[in-house]
Amino acid sequence: MSHLGDRLSALVDGELGGAELDRAHAHLAGCEPCRAEAAELRALKRKLRGLLDGAPAEAAMTRRLIAMTGPGGPVPPRRRLLRVVPGRRPAKPATGPVSSRPGPGPTAEPRSAFRPRPSARRRRYLVLGTVSLVVGLGTAAFTVGGGGDAAPGPRITPPVEMYSVEHAITTGEVPFPGPAVGPSSAPSSPDGPPP
Amino acid sequence: MAAALVIALPGLLISACSSQSGSGAAGGADAVTAAGRATVGRAALASRRPEAARAVRLLSQAAQAAIVTSYQGQEVVTRWSAGGGSVLVSSIWHVSGGQTVTQTMDAGASVSSQPYLSSDTDSQSPEGVLGVTAPLVQLLESHYVVAYAGTGSADDRTAQVVEAWRDDGSIAARFWFDDATKLPLERVVFDTASHVISQDVLIDVSFANPAALPQQAAPASARVSADPQGPWTGPLRRHQLLGLRARGWQVPSGLPGGLSLYTGARTQAGTGTVLDLGYSDGLSMVSVFEQRGNLPATLPGWRKTKVNGHVVFAAEPDQRSLTWSGRGMVYTVVADAPAQTVEAVVGALPHDGPTGFWKRMSRGITRLASWANPFH
Repeated sequence: MSHLGDRLSALVDGELGGAELDRAHAHLAGCEPCRAEAAELRALKRKLRGLLDGAPAEAAMTRRLIAMTGPGGPVPPRRRLLRVVPGRRPAKPATGPVSSRPGPGPTAEPRSAFRPRPSARRRRYLVLGTVSLVVGLGTAAFTVGGGGDAAPGPRITPPVEMYSVEHAITTGEVPFPGPAVGPSSAPSSPDGPPP
Repeated sequence: MAAALVIALPGLLISACSSQSGSGAAGGADAVTAAGRATVGRAALASRRPEAARAVRLLSQAAQAAIVTSYQGQEVVTRWSAGGGSVLVSSIWHVSGGQTVTQTMDAGASVSSQPYLSSDTDSQSPEGVLGVTAPLVQLLESHYVVAYAGTGSADDRTAQVVEAWRDDGSIAARFWFDDATKLPLERVVFDTASHVISQDVLIDVSFANPAALPQQAAPASARVSADPQGPWTGPLRRHQLLGLRARGWQVPSGLPGGLSLYTGARTQAGTGTVLDLGYSDGLSMVSVFEQRGNLPATLPGWRKTKVNGHVVFAAEPDQRSLTWSGRGMVYTVVADAPAQTVEAVVGALPHDGPTGFWKRMSRGITRLASWANPFH
């Protein structure tokens, strides 16, 4: 459990400033769990940035997307995955437009069709990886999203005495800085207070 | 009749007595008792209307008298709620057209406050006594049916009695104004069930011009607390306050219980601008203080409680002030109003709801995306 709570995320994001930042640093200096959590959050942040740096350039991705959706051109058919029962050869090579991309030629087709195991393994890895990514990101999002709205702004302790005086001046009353509260001593007549 | 109030407090016994009698429209010696119990129909209210003009005139005179009359005395403020009673005794000095000094008694060990001075010297605040000020009198006349109720006595002085009635025929308040000076001497406020919820009495009143205000003689530990964090800029007019909405402030034009926005002020605290919004119907008074920021997880001197389904902090020991944060703003409500009104007011202002699973996930994804954004 973080002692800094949602301020830890704000600290990692560089959203804290002034006295709040000093207080957070002072707490980190003496709190091992918070230091560890801050280090984890920073590492997570670095990894996320690293993922984005390794992704294809945005401009290239945009060009490809535009090329796919541009007017006039035929929509390329979806590539059909070949289902092959192990030990059985296909009666004849697959025909028709398998892919819009230039392939290795008709002679290469049977060779790829006879490699089912790596494909299935790849699929399993893909599913496993996707599930891990979703679970990991979900856990990270749940962790990071905790601790209230963390709206920016200072921590306020209302100066109740100042407010009481201002209220009194505004309303033409005497200030009520800290009245005594005793047991209910209300008169019991109808003129008295509610029971 | 004689109404006696005795409140026992740890280390303090306060006895505030006032003798009241009515001989006018309120119906003589039984006026207080009868009015406390009774509700009258619209026909009865209509019969009071001929006295309304006189009541309006008396109220205006009283608001003016609170400014132009030099006086000194003791003010005993008593509040009742379902949780118990509270009482405060203050010495009050006022110089005609000038300074008002209030020194609250140290009421024994049960009160943590030191002797307390407040000073209103800038002539910008609506000076008044027992909540009778010109703006509040206007609100009173627009929200209630006011009627002259004859003569009575308060603090052994002859007084003119004015009553305020609700539209449903129940009595809302009764005022006693000094016959000679028109200074308010007593005010009793009733809830909708005709129970007394507050009684303010001015006793030991003298009208001599005080030779010297006691501020100079105040003990060193006493604080002049009118503006401990800087002067309030105000009063701001209603249209000025409503204009603050464009800058992100929450400024409702009215609050539940028929409370109208009638004044406001602003000050600069160390943690930012504080806005004070004053709401009233002439009797109930609610100040809403707003400041951008959030509350800390714990507040020493405050107790976590639930009001109208919302978790708020209540100032100990009187719980007259409530505070919470919502949508990046800290709200503090200081109220002299029935509990039902306070609950409705708290419900009408913004709060942060409980964080649900999807809201938390959404916030987390947004935060993660902001981390991955190289342009962030």
